[in-house]
Amino acid sequence: MPVASDPTALAEAPDMVPASSPKSDVVIETRNLSKIYRDFWGRRKVAALKSLDIEVRKGEIFGLLGPNGSGKSTTIKLILGLLFPTSGRVLVFDQDATETRKNERIGYLPEESYLYKFLTTDETLDFYGRLFDLSGAERKRRIDELVNLVGLQAARHRQLREYSKGMTRRVGLAQALINDPDLILLDEPTTGLDPIGTRDMKDLILSLRDQGKTILLCSHQLSDVQDVCDRVAILHQGELKELGKVSELLKVQDVTEVHARGLTEAAKTEIAEVIRRHGGTVESIDNPTATMEDLFLNIVRESERRPGARRVSPGEGTNKKVATESEGKS
Amino acid sequence: MTLQPEDFWSFSEWLMRPQSFLESALLQGIVLVVLAILLGLLVGYLVSAVRYGPSEGFYAVARAVRDLVRSDLPGTSARRTYALARLAYKEAIRRRVLVVVGLFVVGLLFAGWYLDPRSSEPARLYISFVLTATNYLILLLALFISTFSLPADIKSRTIYTIVTKPVRATEIVLGRMIGFVAVGTLMLVPMAIASYFFVTRGLRHDHEVVDIKDLGDGRFEGKLSYDQFHEHTFAMDPPANPGEPALGSTDSVRGHRHVVRQIDDKYVIGEPIGALRARIPSYGTLAFTDRSGNIDDKGIDVGNEKGGGGYGASGISRLIGVASEARRLEYGFMEGGTLGSAIYTFDNVTPSRYPQEVGIPIEMSLRAFRTVKGDIVSGLNGTITMRNPDDPKIESNPITFVVQEYDVAEETLPRSIEGNDGNAVRTLDLFEDLVSDDGRLEVIIRCVDRQQYLGTTVSAVYLRPAESSFAWNLTKSYISIWLQMVMVIAFGVMFSTFLSGPVALVATFACVLLGFMAEQVYGIRYHLDRGEDMGGGPIESLVRMVRQDAMTTELDVDAVAGKIIKTVDAVMVYSLDAVATSLPNLPKMLGTAEYAASGYDIFNSLLARHAVATFGYVFLAFLIGYFFLKTREIAA
Repeated sequence: MPVASDPTALAEAPDMVPASSPKSDVVIETRNLSKIYRDFWGRRKVAALKSLDIEVRKGEIFGLLGPNGSGKSTTIKLILGLLFPTSGRVLVFDQDATETRKNERIGYLPEESYLYKFLTTDETLDFYGRLFDLSGAERKRRIDELVNLVGLQAARHRQLREYSKGMTRRVGLAQALINDPDLILLDEPTTGLDPIGTRDMKDLILSLRDQGKTILLCSHQLSDVQDVCDRVAILHQGELKELGKVSELLKVQDVTEVHARGLTEAAKTEIAEVIRRHGGTVESIDNPTATMEDLFLNIVRESERRPGARRVSPGEGTNKKVATESEGKS
Repeated sequence: MTLQPEDFWSFSEWLMRPQSFLESALLQGIVLVVLAILLGLLVGYLVSAVRYGPSEGFYAVARAVRDLVRSDLPGTSARRTYALARLAYKEAIRRRVLVVVGLFVVGLLFAGWYLDPRSSEPARLYISFVLTATNYLILLLALFISTFSLPADIKSRTIYTIVTKPVRATEIVLGRMIGFVAVGTLMLVPMAIASYFFVTRGLRHDHEVVDIKDLGDGRFEGKLSYDQFHEHTFAMDPPANPGEPALGSTDSVRGHRHVVRQIDDKYVIGEPIGALRARIPSYGTLAFTDRSGNIDDKGIDVGNEKGGGGYGASGISRLIGVASEARRLEYGFMEGGTLGSAIYTFDNVTPSRYPQEVGIPIEMSLRAFRTVKGDIVSGLNGTITMRNPDDPKIESNPITFVVQEYDVAEETLPRSIEGNDGNAVRTLDLFEDLVSDDGRLEVIIRCVDRQQYLGTTVSAVYLRPAESSFAWNLTKSYISIWLQMVMVIAFGVMFSTFLSGPVALVATFACVLLGFMAEQVYGIRYHLDRGEDMGGGPIESLVRMVRQDAMTTELDVDAVAGKIIKTVDAVMVYSLDAVATSLPNLPKMLGTAEYAASGYDIFNSLLARHAVATFGYVFLAFLIGYFFLKTREIAA
């Protein structure tokens, strides 16, 4: 297991960036980054981050995972220059994290949407647009685009104090994208969102990646991280515990999965027999279950197509239908 | 209204003080900025050094300075600053601070009940009231809006979304300041307009003719009704041309008079005239002669009566001990019935400046000091003599007047007057004979009554070449209030970059308070310097209060304790003195209200000085605020 504080272990880790990798590809780089919180008198309170070394490369979705107090937020704050490192360095676009100019290419969605409650959506976005020195015409164009993107057309002239948590989150996202950033930092992007919102957010993150943007997100929602991240770093007690490609980290090496459609019971028995003949162990041959998310989204979509009460007869299991649709989608 | 020497300084004189540069405002400003920067760097370094070690600490401080000069100042964008200013403005407006304006207007509606209508100077009362009320209200408001906003943003973390944008610390500090100034201005303007109408409408009143006597040859004399706690008598002359209405004027009571017109058989009384004025005075230089006629620069000191009030400052020179006391101007007295006199020399006395046909208006607010009761019904008698400064033999006959204490006496220096041209007694022309070729005129004031004394100071006697409009003068008073507001906002924002809201509020308030109390601090230091026992510093005073000791006795504690108390007091007083000298001179700015209330035009140079001083302090506060915000860990 690669542990950041041990340089040899890092070098051996299969997913670490090779030394020869071109530097221009690296968007965020932390070198031996540590942060110790102190009290007013300078006394050491807690070591929130210990010798973190990570690199986030251009065009990837990088996830920071970890339980509460593991140092995720501290890392993000250090990257943004909201905190100063106790030792080590953070480079963003090859500039020091405290450099103001780097912010021109960064979008940041904070953990809670810390926005001005007395502004409307339009005013909020216009304000943040001005902070990027965007011209009036440019701001107007971006605001219209983003309001549509996050689906707040109907509420754009209402003050944020009247918004639900999910709506505030959307405004927060819109403000993070106002400058069409190259690097987007998302702190718990799906908190407060309903399943549809969560789905939209994940789709959006993927589409942003497809546009060539780099995304760093930190989350407790493991499923979100699994769904969107290319690589993850897992932190615990301020230390890097695991770093690698999601697909490889999650791959169970000695288990094989086969998905097939339209098999009879006889065929299933025969397949089990073949496996046994080859020395394998059949753990289960069963119909797969869909996720709760898929179930929910299907019900909502169906309800949008056919409004009214939904009839659920005892004989007709919904799971089958959901599974079919979800397979069809994939 | 007594003016201090520095009140007469022109803008450039104040800035440079050509004769004594140590007193100059420029030097004081430079020293202040340099000291603040050095102190800031030192404190910044110490804090960083404790946190990150000596070399890292130095690097952190050096980086802040480098960033300011290299990227933050040149990179400051007007659009971002405007956006931040607009945000601060919207925040305040949407928190309904404008309600205060409503409260002010409601306050004005009821204020009429409490302002004493019997006052002998209603105009002064009304003007002082509105100016003082607005001043304190606006300063209080500035204090609240400016100190709470930034700490609230940091606490609620909304600041995260700002500092993660390409926003410079300069823009955050400047944006706040500008935004709050805009809010304050938006509140001050309606207050000023409401005040103007409150004063003008409040003083407006009417009388009726209750008695009229025909004096023959078309002249009338009469009396007006008792309204608003006063009455007038009036005299009317026959119309200049037949067919025109007869015109008359009342006597001047409580600072105003009325015009009386006769239209057909009716008498129409005009609105009060002269209550709201903005006299533009032309001051001269003053010298005294003693009872034998020898030149004396001070006049006679009659004790406490000479006190002039006002606020003195002498820049750095007082602080480093070159000048021992805040320089003050006091009344000098001349003895009646002797050769004692006050000689004023006025410059630039030309017919184009004083085109009035009757003569030059001269106004006096003299003080009387009686050693015997004398005739208490009428005032003391004085004389005015005009003399040519180039040829003292050319002198007019004395014009007598009765001293009106606590009031401005208006006299006229006539265009032609009997006098002595050095050879013969003849009628002298004011401009031809008495004014020197370079436009100077000497005016000599004497006291006639024996054993009585007449006191005067530079600002007590002046010629009045012109009159400005009251509305414009009131506007200038409000500009002065606005400048004070800007100053308080700058300090509030500065403190809020590194203190929490309530603490920033108290810190700003302490600065304002110390600014107001500066004169007293100077006084204590002055007595300490001279070794005079005037109750001592803070600790000694406390001891005396607890022990109920008089101020002038020796401090009754044992020698060691006494030494410690005096040493600690000295340290405290000298530090307070230094702080008070470096703080804005708010009482001086507040003093402009006195100009308007007394009916004097506020000197433009005075306003310019206040403006420059204000923006100097704003710059200082901006620098300090920047430094603290830049070196602060926002998310800590």
